[in-house]
Amino acid sequence: MTDLAMVPRKNPNSAYRIYDGQATIVLPEQAEVNVLNEIGSLVWDHIDGTRTVAQLIDEVVEQCDTTPEVARRDVLEFLQSLRAHGMVI
Amino acid sequence: MKIGLDRLPRSRYILRVLKAFATLRTELRQGAGGIVLSTETAGEQTGVQTDFAPDDRYFSRLRRSFGSSSVALGFGPLEMSLDGLSERQADDLARRFRPFVVETAARPDVHIVLYPAGVDRFLNTRRDGSDETYRLETRRTGESLALWAYEFAGRLDPSEGRAILALVEERGAQFDRGLENFLRVVTAFYILERGGLLLHASGVVRDGAAHLFFGPSGRGKTTVTHLSPEDVVLSDDLSLIVRNGGGFEAAGIPFGMAHHRVPDSRDSFPIASLNSLVQSLEVKREPLTGARALAEVSASLPFVMQETRQSGRALEVIDRLLATVPAYRLWFRKDPSFWTVIEGTAR
Repeated sequence: MTDLAMVPRKNPNSAYRIYDGQATIVLPEQAEVNVLNEIGSLVWDHIDGTRTVAQLIDEVVEQCDTTPEVARRDVLEFLQSLRAHGMVI
Repeated sequence: MKIGLDRLPRSRYILRVLKAFATLRTELRQGAGGIVLSTETAGEQTGVQTDFAPDDRYFSRLRRSFGSSSVALGFGPLEMSLDGLSERQADDLARRFRPFVVETAARPDVHIVLYPAGVDRFLNTRRDGSDETYRLETRRTGESLALWAYEFAGRLDPSEGRAILALVEERGAQFDRGLENFLRVVTAFYILERGGLLLHASGVVRDGAAHLFFGPSGRGKTTVTHLSPEDVVLSDDLSLIVRNGGGFEAAGIPFGMAHHRVPDSRDSFPIASLNSLVQSLEVKREPLTGARALAEVSASLPFVMQETRQSGRALEVIDRLLATVPAYRLWFRKDPSFWTVIEGTAR
């Protein structure tokens, strides 16, 4: 369960580039290249080692046409997915 | 803007997950009798003999090279001097790499001194003879990069333009494979420094322009070259992408050639298109753009994507490349009809 006060961090070994609003992320350790969709890229771009999970959710609510409940559920699920792929720690 | 996240299954959040590098290691395969891929690594299942990981002391003890001869090679804008060769090795290499032998460069990008390894193997293969991934181990210490596989160990000091290479055999298949694999890594690192790339792609020149065909093994890179008998083949597996002013050119290199042993030319040619191959009964070509193009090209770069620093630099170069060269997904069948599609959509 992700704590909303938690501060996710990008895997320092990842390299990424945002191209046309979509992030391409290379994970040398996992031998993977990942592409995020635009909303995923928005979240990724805001993971800066200072923002909490709650702030990331607020960012999605602010920039996307959605409710806080939906944004919360989706951002939490997305962060879990990023963690599972080793993109955030 | 619709957030849409709740309507998408989780897997759609991550549109593409490309298991890139295990596949890319196929470029290390040496012909039909070489090491074949599987998805497992060598040590996981069969209890291989202990590997030998060379440390700095090992490299510093290498004092006696094979001899005092040298051969200088030029790949695109890169020049490498192979030093410490016996006369016989120098003759063999000059013959093998003939079109790429250059006058001994005054200031090559890198001097590589070759030594007898003094050991039988660095990494061991499975005893049961089953397939395994070609393993390439690396260790970075400051600017220096050590790498070793079955038949070679090398250390690269890019800032000094120097490298040392220890080979388990003085000549023969293991010598050839070890040298070639090391040169591929050296080429990938140095061309990246020059703003270029070593791409897992075949390259064919038609009407003075190069078309690169990329993708993992089995996608048809070599097939495309067979279907282009009247054209200049730069490579059937690994192509060098070099920066030339504001544009990019493709050049052949004499390794990574699975079937077409020697490139038809050592010249470089402006790149007209990048094509991600898909075998199909249908023949068509569609633009490959944005993050997906960036991801697919980056998944076709051997070696440099295994390191954070190098991979970040490589993403920058790919970004620039895609800004000047159109990329496509090319569906093709085993006949030359794909050229009609390419020429029909050529800029």
